[in-house]
Amino acid sequence: MMNQTVVNVKDIHKVFGKRSENQYHALNGVTFDIKAGEFVGIMGPSGAGKTTLLNVISTLDKPTDGTIEIAGTNITSMKQRQLADFRSEQLGFIFQDFNLLENLTIYENIALPLSLQGVPSRKIKPSVVEVAKKLGIETILEKYPVTVSGGQKQRAAAARALVHEPAIILADEPTGALDSKSAKSLMEAMVHLNENHDVSIMMVTHDPLSASYCERILFIHDGALYKEIHRNGSRSEFHHQILDVLADFAE
Amino acid sequence: MLLKLSFSSMRKRFKDYLVLLFGLTISIAIFYMFETLAQNKTFIEANGMISSIVFVFHVGTFILGAITIFYIFYATSFMLTLRQKEMGMYMTLGAKKHKITQLMFFETFFIGLISLLVGLIVGFGLAKGIAELFMWQLDFNGEGFQAFYLSSIITTVIFYVILFLLTSIVNAWKISRKSVLSLLHAEQKQDFVKTKGSKTFFGVLFAIILIGIGYYAMINIAKLMQAGVILAAVTIIIGTYLIFIAFLPYFVKKLKQNRTLNEKGINSFTLGQLRFRMLNLTKVLGTVAMLVALGLGAMTAGISFYHNIEKQASAFHANDVIIHQPSKEDTEALAEMNVTEKNVYHYKIDDQGIYFLKKDLTDNPPLIKYSKETFELPETTRVSQALPKDKYVLGQNDNIASLPEFWTTAISMEINASYQQFGAKDVYVYGSAGYQEIDATEQQVILATVDDFTDYLPQLKTINTNQLKLAETYREETVENIGTKYSNYVAFKAVASGTIFMGFFLGVAFLMMMASVLMFKLLSSAAADTHRYSMLRKIGVRKSLLVKSIYRELFLLFLFPALVGLVHVIVGMQMFSFIIIEPYTKIWIPISIFIIIYGIYYWVTVQMYKRIVLPKEV
Repeated sequence: MMNQTVVNVKDIHKVFGKRSENQYHALNGVTFDIKAGEFVGIMGPSGAGKTTLLNVISTLDKPTDGTIEIAGTNITSMKQRQLADFRSEQLGFIFQDFNLLENLTIYENIALPLSLQGVPSRKIKPSVVEVAKKLGIETILEKYPVTVSGGQKQRAAAARALVHEPAIILADEPTGALDSKSAKSLMEAMVHLNENHDVSIMMVTHDPLSASYCERILFIHDGALYKEIHRNGSRSEFHHQILDVLADFAE
Repeated sequence: MLLKLSFSSMRKRFKDYLVLLFGLTISIAIFYMFETLAQNKTFIEANGMISSIVFVFHVGTFILGAITIFYIFYATSFMLTLRQKEMGMYMTLGAKKHKITQLMFFETFFIGLISLLVGLIVGFGLAKGIAELFMWQLDFNGEGFQAFYLSSIITTVIFYVILFLLTSIVNAWKISRKSVLSLLHAEQKQDFVKTKGSKTFFGVLFAIILIGIGYYAMINIAKLMQAGVILAAVTIIIGTYLIFIAFLPYFVKKLKQNRTLNEKGINSFTLGQLRFRMLNLTKVLGTVAMLVALGLGAMTAGISFYHNIEKQASAFHANDVIIHQPSKEDTEALAEMNVTEKNVYHYKIDDQGIYFLKKDLTDNPPLIKYSKETFELPETTRVSQALPKDKYVLGQNDNIASLPEFWTTAISMEINASYQQFGAKDVYVYGSAGYQEIDATEQQVILATVDDFTDYLPQLKTINTNQLKLAETYREETVENIGTKYSNYVAFKAVASGTIFMGFFLGVAFLMMMASVLMFKLLSSAAADTHRYSMLRKIGVRKSLLVKSIYRELFLLFLFPALVGLVHVIVGMQMFSFIIIEPYTKIWIPISIFIIIYGIYYWVTVQMYKRIVLPKEV
């Protein structure tokens, strides 16, 4: 299980703009793997290509060149309709601005991916309650998103990303809209999911503190892999290590 | 400077403003179009069948006015939501509050004035186009109708200028009360209303009671008269709005609570969207239901008037054809018809009187129309009263016995021995001996019934023309109506086509208003839905499923007001039961017309909505 590859990104390029116009190379041959059960962070300064990378991996955008395999499937050659199905089965999303549907209760939001896959109603409830317990939000299930705190919303979004047991969770600045306390507790919840439930996570962030919860961090600079660091010691040591790399960027 | 800025930003959001302008323009155009008829008293009175038709138009104006006020206030508050973020920006950059208030006032008023100008022009075009189309269809000359009617222009301008002034003040006042921060973040705020159980219960109860009263008033309109119309208009409008405010959100909530239904596929989202929307749409849906009721009602009334003509014409005559002194042309025309009963009666006529041969009458007694109660529909019966005496006279005479009631009806109505046919003459029924003594040429009259009256209009016209000529020789003056079934039919039709014209004109006006209300509301709120659809797309919902969800959601939104409106129409047709014999005849025609218009409109709305909310694919 541990050595199985969930994400395999091979030499991907992404070019914006037509050939005749001013072209912008957002990604310049990025290559890396994510193994099952890994918690990987992607960092880099603004404009480095983090979001583009996340978009192509999450199948929302297509790379100009190169291949991406997720759970053994090459997603770069799939059609729109297949991609939609692939996303709903294999990927779980957590966005910075939560992206919960405010016209549904927290319970309904979490249940939605299962409903969409045609899971019968009687099987939905146990799954939703179980995943809500993992994230400590079982008491707010009947509430609407507007009535709960930002931290709770993000946990709900994490629960929704997790409920259908995807191959990998893709998180885009999940702590970006949270206060430090909520951010800390969300990261702890994600580590808990990763360590105790073998959930693979890829997280894009520019917050060093949040990143320090990861096992491995890929730094991207000008559309290419710049550096890769692994966590060996404590979290605070790793935090310092991250800050050092970021300081390199500044120079 | 601010004014310049605001104009340039209005130009930038031209698409949003176009929606707003379109909505206002249609409202003004329809209001004007309605008023060209409503205020043209001479036209209405000359062409309406009901004496109180002017009053009906006043009620119509009132209802349209009430709906318009709702609509305009909504439309201008939509404008406020378009502008508030930018106004907040100006304020953070140091613009003074009273400047912003002024700006908001002038912007609202300016938009109002532009739409007033365009609306009047469009309204004039619509009134002219639609009037001409219907006049041509109904073969109705519509004399006196003017698409360009000054008094209507004045009313429309005054009404809307006052309305725009009010809404401009309200908009200015609203913006002056808000803090800079709440303006800046206005778009992120979500309003969420929860329906409380007890409140819902009383709301629904109250709605049912009000609509019940309204229905009662419409059914008993003959007793309540104008008060009934006002009562029905007020109670049904309030009741309809209450149904949409209290009952429907509750209904959707109950639907959502059904787990198996809610947790199937994208249902939870569709229903959630519907529920969410329902709370913001209650008033609009109520308005649409009222407009459907009015538009469809007007068309249904028009069509039933049309089909009522033959029934009305036959209310007084049991026989379809009556030919005095038939010519060759008459008998030929009669031979072309499928005659179900034919009787011939002989009479003699001189300067003083008309003398019928009793034996003919008693041998083959004619059919007559007779009603037991004063307000009941007359039924066809055969005269069976005996005539034992030798001589009878129609009416009072000291020397001769009066003709019994049924025979009087038979001779004056069916045989038409009347002033209209023969001028002032006494009418007698003589036994054979007395009849022989009369020194005058003998004539005959043919009475006949046919299988379908409206099938033989050309033949009947020939006969009628000859009968008119005959009447002219006796009366020595121009005669236009001799009171037979056919001439009644023609006269009723001439009057009814005016009413039908008005019915269709109003029907189209109201249906168009409805279209604009729903379209405006859906378009103006669609942008806010975009992020939900894009989020769903991100988590992997197939596009086809999103499209299905849109179709279903909008279908239900269209369905509810249509159902409520339809029930209103079906009950409301009772209002006409005192002038229309069978108000429900061929009700399927206006209903199908409505369903087609509504269906097309639903489809167009779905397409436009789809274009706005569905994310662009890579």
